[in-house]
Amino acid sequence: MYSLEVDRVNKYYDSFHAVKDVSFSIEKGHLFGLLGPNGAGKTTTMRMIMNIIIPDSGSIRLFGEKFQEGHKDQIGYLPEERGLYPKMKLINHLQFLGELKGLSSNKAKEFSLQWLKRFDLSKWQDKKIQELSKGMQQKVQFIGTIIHSPSLLILDEPFSGLDPINTKFLKDILLQLKEAGKTIILSTHLIDQAEKLCDDICLINRGEVILMGNLKEKKSEFGHNSIIVKIDGGRSIIKNLNIIQNIENYGNYMEVQLKEHIQPGELLNLLVENKINVQKFEVTETSLNQIFIELVGNNGNDQNDFDN
Amino acid sequence: MTKTISIIKREFKTKVFTKGFLIGTLIGPILMIGMALGPAYFLSISEKKAIEIKIVDETNILFNRLVHTFNDTLDNGELRFILIPVDPLDYKENSISYQQNIEKEKSSVLLVLPDHLIEGGDITFYSKTVSDIDLIQLIRRKINEEINQVRLEQAGFDPEKIKKLTSRIGIKTKKMVKGKAEEKGFGQEFFTAFIFLLILYMTILLYGAGVMRGVLEEKTSRIIEVLLSSSNSFNLMMGKIFGVGGAGLVQYGIWTFLAFTAFFFISGASPKIAQHIQISPNVFLAIIVFFVLGFFQFSTLYAAVGAMCSSQEDAQALSTPVTFLIIIPFIISFTVINDPSSNLAQILSLIPFFTPMLMFLRIILATPPFFEVLLSIVINLAAILFFVWVSAKIYRVGILMYGKRPTVPEIIKWVRYK
Repeated sequence: MYSLEVDRVNKYYDSFHAVKDVSFSIEKGHLFGLLGPNGAGKTTTMRMIMNIIIPDSGSIRLFGEKFQEGHKDQIGYLPEERGLYPKMKLINHLQFLGELKGLSSNKAKEFSLQWLKRFDLSKWQDKKIQELSKGMQQKVQFIGTIIHSPSLLILDEPFSGLDPINTKFLKDILLQLKEAGKTIILSTHLIDQAEKLCDDICLINRGEVILMGNLKEKKSEFGHNSIIVKIDGGRSIIKNLNIIQNIENYGNYMEVQLKEHIQPGELLNLLVENKINVQKFEVTETSLNQIFIELVGNNGNDQNDFDN
Repeated sequence: MTKTISIIKREFKTKVFTKGFLIGTLIGPILMIGMALGPAYFLSISEKKAIEIKIVDETNILFNRLVHTFNDTLDNGELRFILIPVDPLDYKENSISYQQNIEKEKSSVLLVLPDHLIEGGDITFYSKTVSDIDLIQLIRRKINEEINQVRLEQAGFDPEKIKKLTSRIGIKTKKMVKGKAEEKGFGQEFFTAFIFLLILYMTILLYGAGVMRGVLEEKTSRIIEVLLSSSNSFNLMMGKIFGVGGAGLVQYGIWTFLAFTAFFFISGASPKIAQHIQISPNVFLAIIVFFVLGFFQFSTLYAAVGAMCSSQEDAQALSTPVTFLIIIPFIISFTVINDPSSNLAQILSLIPFFTPMLMFLRIILATPPFFEVLLSIVINLAAILFFVWVSAKIYRVGILMYGKRPTVPEIIKWVRYK
């Protein structure tokens, strides 16, 4: 049973081909990561799922059916660009958002109060939105997305602008919702987040799908392991070793890929021979970040965009 | 449908429960009543004061006759004009000081009637102000009449016969309303029409632009995408228009109520002033009908303009054409006030954009045939449907576009999108 099936969808903005033949489907109850650098076509894809933008070709099926206006009541959508009416009172605003999702005005108020309590915002319920801090407004926005307990959640960059405490808070809520059987689509350019949370991923670059499927499978499919190395000095020596395929320097540590058929022990031996002070040496599976940089990097030079 | 009602409700509340609405609702009619009563009040004040006319009568025969002619009275029954004879010989010696004295006194004038006046010539009129055309015309007419009489007498006509032959006729203005003649002066008609026209013009402009501001606010605060994920662009646009329009109608409701109450009290307190503001209840019905028609045509266009813009500056520039479509009929209506039955008025009042103000004016001033009124309403409803269709297309695309202002070909392309 798929909550969402996107089939060969295309979207042009004038001559710009924003989304090219994108297809993916999401199983019910899965947490799906839509990844890609800024401007890859993630937001356009999500807007097409919500029928805010109409695709030029291809089809989108929700809960196994063609799109109907009524589907919107079963979906919670958090756009990347957050927005609330600044002059409305918090409680009235949430109630309004609830009513727009088809809740009766009483139910909308009841759920608003419940969620405000859970998010520790009850004290502020009669304040105007503009009097709240940015972080609180983010929480209000999120409550507005889930107030009608939708079965499909579409979250566009949900973690942007959140401090670590709120990030963890939101992550916990997402996992709870997932346990409750909700399907969640998460778009992000923060690969670390996606790697920790998602069951499945779809990687988009320049409007095209470049990697898709179960996260674990994809990682093992990608084959060769990485080695996390932390050393004191000697970086110029390690760069010139001929057994090394690629080095990604993260400052505090390096992620190293070796050439085919070379064992990790050989690298360790060489490091010791060269009298380099090794602080950490860990063999691990290739990080999604690494996969991403390889794929996107080969495809173009969008990495710069990607890391900001 | 229930969602659209939620949108309307929210729009309505945010418009009505504000200080601005309260102030506008209360100050609006006070200003309007002030404008309606002000001129009438000032006219009655200026009439209360008697005017002193110093007459240097070099003909020696006119003064005594003029005393009988200047017999107008003020509201309180006293004479409006006090005629004071000035000895021509004295005046000849001290003419400068006489003229300077006039400058010091507010309500007095000096008339010099030269000795050959009966044969022809000019009177000289000295006054601190020479802008009171009515007064000058009045004096000229009265003196002319007397001189004509003198000339006829000198030609040997019997004074009694002259009186009979030259007796003046008055003019009574009556307006035909549904086969009955109503006694009304042009002045009060003009006032009523002007005040109501002003209210209609202001409300269409303010509420129409209010829709644009609302659309722009939703766009710049980026809440529009959240709204679009719950409802669709057409419902959002129509919800906003109905909500804002509803607030406008509530304001009209309050004003109508206040107007009837105020009129009730004024007619009790001062029937004289109440005469100046005779308004038929139909006028209130008409203004509400034409407000609704006007508001819907302009607010749909304003909604489209709001959707095209990304900032206040854009909105100011792009809304100018729409605003002109409101201002031009308002300016043309000054010609229509003067001649509400002209062909121009008849034709323009059937054309959308012009109908709300011009047909409304015709209804107040000229009672046009009913079928013409009905025709104008039907034409305007059709136009509104068309504007809604076009605006909804522009709104749907524009609302998600940020950045540079769209060009005309781009907008045409938006309308053509499926």
